[in-house]
Amino acid sequence: MQLASHFLGDILDSIIVDVASECHRIARLGLDRNLEEEEEEMKLSAQARVRVADPSSSSEANSKYVVDIFGQTHPAVANEIFECMNCGRSIMAGKFAPHLEKCMGKGRRARPKATRSNTGASQNRYSRSSPISTYSPYSSSSSVNRLSNGTPGVAGEEYGDGAFAET
Amino acid sequence: MNVQIKEKHLSIPIKMFSTNPTYTNPKPCKHLADYKLIHGLNGYNSLQKSLKTTPDGRTAMNRDQSKIPRCSFCSGYEGRMYFCLICSSVSCCSSSDSNHAFLHSQTENGHEIAVDMDRAELFCCVCCDQVYDPDFDKSVMIKQILEMPRNNNGMDLSKEKSIKRRKLVSKVISDSKISKELVLRMDRGSKSCFPWGLRGLNNLGNTCFMNSVLQALLHAPPLRNYFLSDRHDRETCRKISSDRLCLSCDFDAIFSAVFSGDRTPYSPAQFLYSWWQHSANLASYEQQDAHEFFISMLDRIHEKEEQVRRPNKDDGDCFCIAHRVFAGLLRSDVTCTTCGFTSTTYDPCVDISLDLEPSNGSSTEVADKSNKLSQNISTLLGCLDLFTRPERLGSDQKLHCEHCQERRDSLKQMSIRRLPLVLCLHIKRFEHSPIRKMSRKIDRHLQFPFSLDMAPYLSSSILRNRFGNRIFTFEGDESDMSTDFELFAVVTHSGILESGHYVTYLRLRNQWYKCDDAWITHVSEHTVRASQGYLMYYVQKMLYYKASEEMNCLLMSPRGDPFLPTAECC
Repeated sequence: MQLASHFLGDILDSIIVDVASECHRIARLGLDRNLEEEEEEMKLSAQARVRVADPSSSSEANSKYVVDIFGQTHPAVANEIFECMNCGRSIMAGKFAPHLEKCMGKGRRARPKATRSNTGASQNRYSRSSPISTYSPYSSSSSVNRLSNGTPGVAGEEYGDGAFAET
Repeated sequence: MNVQIKEKHLSIPIKMFSTNPTYTNPKPCKHLADYKLIHGLNGYNSLQKSLKTTPDGRTAMNRDQSKIPRCSFCSGYEGRMYFCLICSSVSCCSSSDSNHAFLHSQTENGHEIAVDMDRAELFCCVCCDQVYDPDFDKSVMIKQILEMPRNNNGMDLSKEKSIKRRKLVSKVISDSKISKELVLRMDRGSKSCFPWGLRGLNNLGNTCFMNSVLQALLHAPPLRNYFLSDRHDRETCRKISSDRLCLSCDFDAIFSAVFSGDRTPYSPAQFLYSWWQHSANLASYEQQDAHEFFISMLDRIHEKEEQVRRPNKDDGDCFCIAHRVFAGLLRSDVTCTTCGFTSTTYDPCVDISLDLEPSNGSSTEVADKSNKLSQNISTLLGCLDLFTRPERLGSDQKLHCEHCQERRDSLKQMSIRRLPLVLCLHIKRFEHSPIRKMSRKIDRHLQFPFSLDMAPYLSSSILRNRFGNRIFTFEGDESDMSTDFELFAVVTHSGILESGHYVTYLRLRNQWYKCDDAWITHVSEHTVRASQGYLMYYVQKMLYYKASEEMNCLLMSPRGDPFLPTAECC
């Protein structure tokens, strides 16, 4: 039993000196990171979150807008009116996208495959779990890796299926 | 290395091609210096045959495979063993009381420099400290290179083709000169002390995913300069291509509108229409992801250029504006854990997607004095560390090793071979549960710096680290590209995975602005630091400060004279 703990002690000593030697080299060669800077960053980050979370302070992130920096106000739904370049009708800006979707006949029909390109845009290329280089023109062919905006509507499900159409 | 710029009107003397001092050469101690004078490289060279490298890149002395090295004083084999470079005797050092290595230096005159046998490191027995000599490291590296299995182990020592990069950078600088003149012509008359090109974008119906990315791109210095100096000529474009669709033309139109001086929110309707015509499968106004949009947009810009002119055949680099600004090169090394053979591949990328590092274990602990709880915060540097960490490939992913001629367990390691002018870092804020077939968003806070040094993530740094951080020139060291970046845009997402809202924070002239569709407001640094970053856009420091300088020059004085900079008035 004593012999075993003696060997364990030796192994630990060896490992400790190994790590010390490695760190010594990194420090001497100036390869280490600036710890002071990093600590400063962490402090700033913590301070920032405290200030933003404080309900008494004016929370810029969440307060309702009164005027923008140019002194302008804007309605909840953009009310600029312009002509749809597809059908020629006059549409209100804030309703343009849903109009265009129907106008162009998108959203409810199966769509053709997109062309491939060379931007090397695939996430799977260097994702941590797959060593084999797979290629897809868009960042993900599954709906998993996306942060969506807007509200899920009836067309949502349809869209979800549509996303898998090209692989 | 990072300079804190407090003065807004300070003119920073920027060296155009600052070499990257990746390491410092430590001064030798007196004893090492004396040793070198007398013995030169003899000791190092004769040592080479005794060195042995393991597949993980570590070198040790392996004098005699049949016998354990024993101390010449006590015949012990425990503790640290030191090999004298002059007489080849071995001395041990197990504690400060039992330091036979020191004893050796006292009994034999001039026998002061030894080698730590376990790690092939130089040791000064008198100073009792590890010492460094580039010649010694070089000698060790040469042995390593010779000994490792064929294919150089991913150690490609060929010269870097830095000529093209220099042309690229100088072109970007000349672009900025032209754009400055253009703006003076355009904005003359409008008395404005607001940052140039700051304008809200109307939400056309759940299009904040598009607006947020557009705002970031409109203020990416090299991209801005390119379009504002009319490098994409809409007239010429229409004449050349038979296909009248061109997203770059529509993007150019947005630049003209946003930088026109008009501050009422702009509706990027034509752009949306154009984008949907190109990207049929993404044409839905609901549930769009900003990152996907970004990639899609770059794809369209690239494709159009490819139609017009063929890319350079000799090295496969594409010089379309999308690639010139955003393209970097990633290196992937897969190493056989049995023999050390490494297979290296290079892949271009226009952004880097990072896994959010788990908050337990690998991130920094913050003990905030005002807040008793110490929290584990994920950091951007932590995510980059995770990205470049060697990953053990699972037993189901055994790769065929060319050297062993068998399927072996391997390690995979990513690194950055070439940095782009604008670096887009995408944080994968999602978790997928295969069991429940559901994904959810990770709202965990991520700390990100305003100034970022990418040096530790370069292939040269990663390689150097893999081989014990020896003083040696690795592939990419001679590159003249700076590794310092400045944050200029953050795209944030709030809400749940299926629905939420995108907002972009822009940093112009060291002030932060919030771009929430049509609403442009002034925010403090704290708001940005506390925000939930999803896409972080960093630009080469030199380009960031050049852009800031341009901003300063363009502030109109009340007399409307564009050449007199005004003090901050808002």
